[in-house]
Amino acid sequence: MSRERKRKLITSVLSILFAATVLLNFFNYEVPTFLWALDGIVLFGLLSYYIITQKLVTYMVKRSLEAAVVLVIIATMTFLLLRIIPGGPFDQEKALPPEVIANIEAKYQLNEPVYMQYYYYISGLLRGDLGESYKYVGRSVTDILAETLPNSIQLGFYALLISFLIGIPTGVIAASKHNTWIDNLSMTLAISGVSLPSFLVAAIFILVFCFSLNWLPPALWEGPEYYILPIVVLGIRPAAVIARLTRSSVLEVISSDYIRTARAKGLSERSILFKHVLKNSLIPVLTFSGPLIAGILSGSFIIEMIFAVPGMGKHLIQSVSNRDYPLVLGVTLIFSVLLVLSNLVVDLLYSFFDPRINLS
Amino acid sequence: MSNITQQQIRTPKSLWSESYDRLKKNKASVVSFWFIVVICLVALFAETLAPYPYYEQYIDDILASPNSKYLLGTDSLGRDMLSRLIYGARMSMAVGIFTAIISLFIGATYGAISGWFGGKIDAVLMRFVDILYSIPTLVLLILVKVIFDSLNLFEDPELKALTGILLALSVVGWVNLARVVRGQVLQVKEMTYVEAAKAMGASHIWILIKHVFPNILGPVIVLLTFQIPANILFESFLSFIGLGLQPPFSSWGVLANEGWRSLRSFPHLIVSPGIVLFLVMLSFNLFGDGLRDAFDPKMKK
Amino acid sequence: MLKVLITFLLALSFLACTKKDKQSGSNEYGLKNSETLRIVVDREPPSLDWSIATDTESALITNNLMEGLVAYNLKDPELSLQPALALKWTSSENAKKWTFKLRRGVKWSDGVEFTAQQIVDSWVRLLSPLTASEYAYFLFGIKNAKEFNKGTIKDSKQLGIKVSPQGDIQVELESSMSYFPYLLTHSSTFPIRLDLIKKHGVNKWTEAGNHVGLGPFNLKVWEHDKVIILERNERYYGEKAKVKNVLGYIVGEKSTALNLFDNGQVDAVKDLPKSELRFLAKKKEFIKESMLGIFYLGFNVKKAPFDNVLVRKAFIHAIDRNEIVKVLGAGEVPLKGWVPQGMFGHNNNVGLAFDVAKAKKYLNEAGFTDLTKFPKIEIGFNTNENHQRVIENVQAQLKRNLGISVDLKNEEWKVYLNTLKSNAPHMFRMGWVADYPDPDNFLNLMTSYSDNNHTGWGDTQYDHYIEEAVSVADKSVRKLIYQKAQKILLEKGASVFPTYSMVQTHMVSQRVKNFPVNAVYQFLFKDVELEKAK
Repeated sequence: MSRERKRKLITSVLSILFAATVLLNFFNYEVPTFLWALDGIVLFGLLSYYIITQKLVTYMVKRSLEAAVVLVIIATMTFLLLRIIPGGPFDQEKALPPEVIANIEAKYQLNEPVYMQYYYYISGLLRGDLGESYKYVGRSVTDILAETLPNSIQLGFYALLISFLIGIPTGVIAASKHNTWIDNLSMTLAISGVSLPSFLVAAIFILVFCFSLNWLPPALWEGPEYYILPIVVLGIRPAAVIARLTRSSVLEVISSDYIRTARAKGLSERSILFKHVLKNSLIPVLTFSGPLIAGILSGSFIIEMIFAVPGMGKHLIQSVSNRDYPLVLGVTLIFSVLLVLSNLVVDLLYSFFDPRINLS
Repeated sequence: MSNITQQQIRTPKSLWSESYDRLKKNKASVVSFWFIVVICLVALFAETLAPYPYYEQYIDDILASPNSKYLLGTDSLGRDMLSRLIYGARMSMAVGIFTAIISLFIGATYGAISGWFGGKIDAVLMRFVDILYSIPTLVLLILVKVIFDSLNLFEDPELKALTGILLALSVVGWVNLARVVRGQVLQVKEMTYVEAAKAMGASHIWILIKHVFPNILGPVIVLLTFQIPANILFESFLSFIGLGLQPPFSSWGVLANEGWRSLRSFPHLIVSPGIVLFLVMLSFNLFGDGLRDAFDPKMKK
Repeated sequence: MLKVLITFLLALSFLACTKKDKQSGSNEYGLKNSETLRIVVDREPPSLDWSIATDTESALITNNLMEGLVAYNLKDPELSLQPALALKWTSSENAKKWTFKLRRGVKWSDGVEFTAQQIVDSWVRLLSPLTASEYAYFLFGIKNAKEFNKGTIKDSKQLGIKVSPQGDIQVELESSMSYFPYLLTHSSTFPIRLDLIKKHGVNKWTEAGNHVGLGPFNLKVWEHDKVIILERNERYYGEKAKVKNVLGYIVGEKSTALNLFDNGQVDAVKDLPKSELRFLAKKKEFIKESMLGIFYLGFNVKKAPFDNVLVRKAFIHAIDRNEIVKVLGAGEVPLKGWVPQGMFGHNNNVGLAFDVAKAKKYLNEAGFTDLTKFPKIEIGFNTNENHQRVIENVQAQLKRNLGISVDLKNEEWKVYLNTLKSNAPHMFRMGWVADYPDPDNFLNLMTSYSDNNHTGWGDTQYDHYIEEAVSVADKSVRKLIYQKAQKILLEKGASVFPTYSMVQTHMVSQRVKNFPVNAVYQFLFKDVELEKAK
């Protein structure tokens, strides 16, 4: 078998593997453990292979150390901000007697000086202990995150997927039909996609798809038909952004010299588009994925509220208003980890697709 | 030497007028621009335009549908929707524009210092920006908003209502601008005419103001045009989580948030704010697109 | 290759679509709709450990899983008590010593017998400083309880709680308390199984599978942040629950809950959003019921100009409660007295009524002849749709009736609480919902030593009346004392402006019979019946 065919075969097998996992997961099948494991091993293997062959080991170590430092700094900043905010976790409408307050403060070590509390928190953090929630008494922050994060990730992942699946083709088509009505229409749609607050978009979608057409349930997180609306509403904004980005990127590549050369050589439009234009114009889109993931993460809160998705987003808001310090910190750190990770992956992908960039 | 003079011929002015010509040809942008101007005028002359005060409650006309007395109906407190929409323009535009200006001020200064001095200063400043990038914006926004609101910096009720939002949105918004400005400054710094000015002994500040800023103004203005609608939308998001503009003031975000739940019961509460918000967002984005294309010679047809 | 991939994906999606052939009429959890009451739980219950939980959602669940010594007779409008785990109770010495005779042969849902010791265990646990329970103060009336909670008394044997040789519970109080049995309707006083806590650990014993109760339902499923399922307890000592399952979806956003209701996915939604009331009230599923709670505005009597009682009176006279109630539109009851409607002691003949002429007269007497020069004042409230309506209306009324412009200051809830404690605004909104259906719970608020009195106002005669009333057993005598106390608070002191008595609103599907709506806001689902779908 030639090298080229081998590569194709591997890519296909992997695509099928991942697609299978994604689909099974979407349709609420119990995804078999071996499939998850296989996915994990393959991903990890590919990543390590890439890192080792590209001599990126030191780079990775450096990045991880940096990330750790960044996380500690974020924890510190959030910790301080939380102590500056007026109002404590156990302030409530009905004032508690001083004895009761003293007991609660002793239980959570809130009676100690702030620097000691900080010391306890950071040393706990280094041991991997995020503490216990104040509001959800007796539940550890780790438990809460472990129960809600998968749902948020599921929601976010599919939203991301759908935004790429809609955004990139739209952008490419718009660019290839530059300055025609197709271009204008799709770009107007794309701008419309970012022109309304997402809660309003959600309300309109619910009105149309649940109450007018009666196709989909208005809320809850129980199966594929429940997933569709929240994913689409969450995916609209990034899809619109990706479409616009892809369009301008493709336009730029099309007008570049080497594409002109390719045209001059008499290559077919189709092969130019797929072989040269797409590959080169997707790189800027890829770099945008970092901020995109951040956007999806923070946007997910509204979607989780409106569609009653049992995710982590609502804890982000509610824990602040409850002054549930450990939970605020836990959620913030998890979000930060996700951001840092996605930035790292984007950087790796970037260097993979654009060999001119040397990470090490 | 001839190289330098050539560069100097491309002075900001000619670049600007060239861009202006390009912008004029983009009809959508021109229409959008005039629409934005009209909205700004509405915001400025809200008192004369609004048929009723935005806070006055007409208890006997609660939730009236649009009629000849109240053109867009009344809300659940009996306040005239049209008047609230008109006054809402003032608050929303204030949030959009002032936040953009504040974040521009912080971001441009920060980015310029970082890009211009480079080296260690740049490394440290940019590392801090990286950290800010890794904090979920939402947490930062909420914490900062609550803290600023509890400070009571101003006496004037309108200002008091706005400060928390403005400052919180700016704290989150300047980071992007700082990055863009830094990138632009780095590019411009290498230009020969800047090198020449340096060689001629001009001071840093002088070079920055005289040579660097005019050259990076284009991209920054484009970014601002996109930042303004983003801020207006973000304000509605703050309203959604109960941290928006303080009552009884009205903004489009407040109206959208009060209305979206009533889409099936009292649609008049959301239809007009929704349409206005949509059109304004659309105009800013179309205008921004036009500006970007105009400033970016690569997009020349 | 692409073809293979596409075929494969198509096949897979086809497979996936055909996967679930749900039995019609049942839901994702395999519960038949005809046997399941589907409700909305407004937020994830913070804890199902009833020694620790303090909020309404936890109480909603726990009250269906557990029972206490006594229970409300919900059919009685006066809310008298009826036997539950205790068959009889008697007091002596001016309501200072209480004896509770327990029901025999009651079994927990795991078959273990209910004993008096489990009551003692629960109360000791509630009061223990290590438990750090917020509701520990509920039992502070018991002898030595406060000291035990403080840690100055270490031995729980010194508490005024004993098990008699006959197996009765004997309680000795610090001072007389005529309403003591009412406290025992509260979930924090329910019996507890220390053996289970030991076995599963203090944090895990409330999870589904570990949880064991004495009530009409068992905890079958608790998927955090998502769903709670209760199942009929066949070991329940009383009449068994009529409905087999209760399914609670945890849905925080009210408009979402209403969407689910309209889509037929849930049977009941409580606490309807105010903005929708005018729309929902027209529907046949709409239910309204009074609630033992009041909304009031307080004056900070330490701050000028409200240090002058005439100005306070003027402001009270200048605000029309009827207009506020009209703006709210849920059928709230205007409240002139201090005790909510539906509780004994409720009286709308005390207090100051709407009278603009009087208001202007008082302001004149206080020296404010030119009202345009009235000092700047601020009304504080916490960010909430409902409060905002009231306060904005008050603002508009003061402007219209007196020509005085006031500033509004809304703050995030915890910031607001902090402000009230440290530096309360000129006027502020607050509310109170009954812990137990007794006027003492409301009038105690405004005593000079109460932590909940943010007005800075105090009156020794008033304090005296409140203390006196608790030791009196005769309701009609207490009523008179409370009448006098309210006169001092509302007419002499005029430090608060009681605004309205709260109501609760619900949407309940037509197929649900006997949905439990009552003034004490207890949702007991055992009597609910579901009509067969037509």
